[in-house]
Amino acid sequence: MRAPLFRGHGWKWLLCAPALTVLLLAASGPLLIVLVYSFLSPGNMGGVVWEFSTEGWFRVFFRRDIFEPDLVTWNQAHLAVFWRSIWLSLQTTLICAFLGFPTAWFIATRPPSTRTVWLFLITIPFWTNLLIRTFAIQEVIRNNGTINTVLMRLGVIDSPIQMMFTDFAVLLGMAYVFLPLMVLPLYAAMEKMDFRLVEAGYDLYASRLMVLWHVILPQVKPGFIAGSILVFIPAIGAYVTPRVLGGGRTMMLGNLIALQFGQGRNWPLGAALAMLMLVVVVGALVLYLRAVNRMEGARRG
Amino acid sequence: MDARVQDTTVKGEIDITGVNKVFGQGAAAFHALTDIDLSIATGEFFTLLGPSGCGKTTLLRVIAGFEQPSSGSLRINGAEVAGLGPNRRPVNTVFQSYALFPHMTVAQNIGFGLKMLGKPRREIEATAAEMLRLVRMEALAERRPAELSGGQQQRVALARALAPRPRVLLLDEPLSALDLKLRKEMQSELKRLQTETGITFVFVTHDQEEALTMSDRVAVMSAGRILQMGRPTEIYNAPVNRFVADFIGETNFLVLPVAQTEGDAAHLTLPGGKRAQALLPDGMLPVTGADVTAVIRPEQATIVEPDAGDMTATVDSAVFFGTDTHLHLTLSDGQPFVLRRQNRPGQQPPEPGTALGLSLAPGALRVLED
Repeated sequence: MRAPLFRGHGWKWLLCAPALTVLLLAASGPLLIVLVYSFLSPGNMGGVVWEFSTEGWFRVFFRRDIFEPDLVTWNQAHLAVFWRSIWLSLQTTLICAFLGFPTAWFIATRPPSTRTVWLFLITIPFWTNLLIRTFAIQEVIRNNGTINTVLMRLGVIDSPIQMMFTDFAVLLGMAYVFLPLMVLPLYAAMEKMDFRLVEAGYDLYASRLMVLWHVILPQVKPGFIAGSILVFIPAIGAYVTPRVLGGGRTMMLGNLIALQFGQGRNWPLGAALAMLMLVVVVGALVLYLRAVNRMEGARRG
Repeated sequence: MDARVQDTTVKGEIDITGVNKVFGQGAAAFHALTDIDLSIATGEFFTLLGPSGCGKTTLLRVIAGFEQPSSGSLRINGAEVAGLGPNRRPVNTVFQSYALFPHMTVAQNIGFGLKMLGKPRREIEATAAEMLRLVRMEALAERRPAELSGGQQQRVALARALAPRPRVLLLDEPLSALDLKLRKEMQSELKRLQTETGITFVFVTHDQEEALTMSDRVAVMSAGRILQMGRPTEIYNAPVNRFVADFIGETNFLVLPVAQTEGDAAHLTLPGGKRAQALLPDGMLPVTGADVTAVIRPEQATIVEPDAGDMTATVDSAVFFGTDTHLHLTLSDGQPFVLRRQNRPGQQPPEPGTALGLSLAPGALRVLED
């Protein structure tokens, strides 16, 4: 046997060198720069001054009184943005799950020949620029937009309903944009599902609701988890949708970070905020991996 | 109605009258079941037998509630169930694919039906343990289905279906995925379970041997109709038509002229001129001199000296089957004939070309309707 000579991977990992180099330069490098910037001082015209400072991180959570610098209070504005970002992203994920499940179920229960057509229809929105789609939603919900105009013509309401620049508008926009990202993994999980198990559930005296709860949901759980990750992570960093539909009042983390690098001219604060967002996202991913491992473990027993 | 559909007046565990099942509409309509009438008695082991696509699985699914009949009545224990879903019928199914829940342990799978019926946890656990004992799987209660062999999954599927104590257990080709040895083992296991629990079994199979060895009664189906229903011996010995005769076991079909009719029997002229008595189906009165099709099983003829028997034949080939040898013969008028002879120590198969005499067992020859 020549096996001992080739035991392990030996020098073969070197074949990955090009990919590793790209990963190192393109992923870790910029991240490292952002991390370093978050510990520097802001320059007057933007950019950074090479002086170590924790002021950026400090101002993520706290604020100093302008007249009495020793008076430190929680930075309510920032905390409100964090909270809104997480809360809106969670709500978006939930809405996508609730709308995505029946949609994926509908597609998965079509005859195989027509499923492709339905999947194709699901992917059509991806063809249009995100900004255009967001403006299209604006056109529907703004004060003299489609919904308000129709309702006023019908005499249902006297004055337009304010929908633009509210959490509702942001939620609507994000749910619309991210829905396909939930439908596709759910569909993939359902397609693999053994529909005979559903019959077995009915046969063993389960009602429709019980079959859904005890037979179908455990089977499509991996799809739900993958879909939730795919929706939650881009949602928490969303920029365009809250910018166009939420305006300045309903800012999310992405907008706050952009603001610090732009008009705010506080790059260290922006960098610290960006790192914080990374922590939230990694936290969500860790939860996901744990859940997956638990399921895999359970499957193996 | 003729004799092939019997006992429809007996009120049993399952009473099916005039059930039709049509898939699709208009020109594309497919009649999966046509005018099914049958009654299954309590505690009976009843088998639906037929080739694939004959409607036997559709009939089982209609009984289970997965399909609703297009017309007709279906009563279980006297109560009309047509229109009710499978979760509202006192019937459980053992699926061909087993359909065990992969995310549950063996014990959870078995307890699922009772859980859905809202039984208390203690009762569920006790019944699951009892069922595990019944199918001899106590040691594997905490395993997941993916960790079990095919035969073990089969037992779990059985235990799961038996746990809620259904009035009727439906089995959809449950043994088809098992290898031969395991299949034989499960056949006797199934029979044991049926006797021990006293539950009515409705068994679907395309394997005629399985049907004959296990069933109290068999219904032979083809193209959505029940062709013949009766005890395995009736089905085997007195097939009503060519399809049943051909599907159950092996049969020789001989086209012979009628020499004379006499009550429910006819005298047929055998190749070579001798006459033999053959049973006629009910109500058939063939014209003297007309050709009819008669059947005789390969084991119902014995080899005798040439000219001593009812017919003469020459040997084409001999196939050794272990317990017996199949001799492929040509009769004196050119019709083929297969004869099965039990092997004895030291006995050599006859050489091709040898002339033999054949003696037919009395009552073995039967005339078919078509």
